[in-house]
Amino acid sequence: MNKGPVSILIQFVVLLVLQLLLFNNIQFSGFINPYVYVLFFLLLPFSISKALTVILGLLMGLAIDLFMGTPGVHAAATVLIAFIRPGVFKMIAPHDGYDANTLPRISYMGLEWFVKYTIIMVVVHHLVLFYVEVFSFSHFFHTLLKVMLSSVFSCAFIILSQFFVFRK
Amino acid sequence: MRNLFRFILQYHVLILFILFEIFSITLVVTTGSFQEARFYQAGQKLNNTLSNRIENTRDYLSLYKENKRLATENNRLYNLLKSSYKISYIDSTFRGDTASPRYYKYISAKVINNSVNKKYNYMTIDKGRNHGIEPEMGVICDDGIVGMVKSVSDNFCVVLSLLNPRFGVSAKIKSSGFYGPLSWKETSADKAILEDIPHHATIVMGDTILTSGYGSIFPENYMIGVISNFKLKGGNYYEITVKLSPDFQRLNQVQVIRNEFRNEIETLEQTAVNE
Repeated sequence: MNKGPVSILIQFVVLLVLQLLLFNNIQFSGFINPYVYVLFFLLLPFSISKALTVILGLLMGLAIDLFMGTPGVHAAATVLIAFIRPGVFKMIAPHDGYDANTLPRISYMGLEWFVKYTIIMVVVHHLVLFYVEVFSFSHFFHTLLKVMLSSVFSCAFIILSQFFVFRK
Repeated sequence: MRNLFRFILQYHVLILFILFEIFSITLVVTTGSFQEARFYQAGQKLNNTLSNRIENTRDYLSLYKENKRLATENNRLYNLLKSSYKISYIDSTFRGDTASPRYYKYISAKVINNSVNKKYNYMTIDKGRNHGIEPEMGVICDDGIVGMVKSVSDNFCVVLSLLNPRFGVSAKIKSSGFYGPLSWKETSADKAILEDIPHHATIVMGDTILTSGYGSIFPENYMIGVISNFKLKGGNYYEITVKLSPDFQRLNQVQVIRNEFRNEIETLEQTAVNE
């Protein structure tokens, strides 16, 4: 899987479209809104510049906001997870550190690492997303429930997708 | 000044992040309904074409349920028709309730077996004696008449298809009212023959042929088909080829017509003949 800017662009478009058409229509009981486009940030190569990640965060977030009619809500969340991504890498780094030639994929880094990675990124993203959306702490527990349930489904979809899409 | 540049360079990522985050939150906070509407419109365009596709798929997946619902609805509406009630002329206001005696009652059924290419064609439907079906009741579909009940068991019955030389119905030309017997003469699965129309009748291609209501099987004015050909036989009568409206190959939902006054009419006609 080549890491050039073209493939990044393609992943951007694919995940954006997939989210809008497929996952936005999966709504269980109003609590569960899976946001699978977070996968886009998970898949960005290790070697990409941090500034560029943050910029991409803004772009993807604004794109989703544009199509969902929620100005700034997703952008706030995506910018944050783009920013913390390098920090997360440091936190869950395997003992030998990272090999610059590898990619954040199950095939390179193992399932356990990927699951940790996914859960952290998804939960942080959903926390920010749902609380900014509500923009108050009045429905604290209701929103927390939304965060938890949606995170479960988002993580499930993301991890499952890795088995179907990337096979070595 | 140089220190400032160095500071910005060193923390450029953090600065970018803070800038963007403030921008996003500002968007969230300051968006009035106008901006939100503009934001939303762009999304609508993409959503619409593709939402349509998704809706179409969803619709297709729920076809079975929809069919069942429509059949029940049809049945309900047939039963409400004014023509299903016997109107006494003394009291001419129509009330579609059980105060007026029912003339025709419709029983909805599904075709579970059918044939169109044999010499004698029959179909089996999933209602029987337990549902009020008796032999010699007329059977129709949404497009027109399709046959007559032949034999009945508790939960099923066999229907003599219109495509069966043993079936006959009294039919009339809609525009002129001339009537005669209509039956199938082993031609194609969509044509039947209407005979005994007097030669002074005007025949126009494409004219509608309906049930005449004579005979107690089919009520009046039910669709049979349209005129597709005609020829004069023996100088006195027309033989008209009628293209049948129902698609016999794809019959699915039908209604069985129960004439509540049938016994009374037939007994009366029988005694009149016997006297």
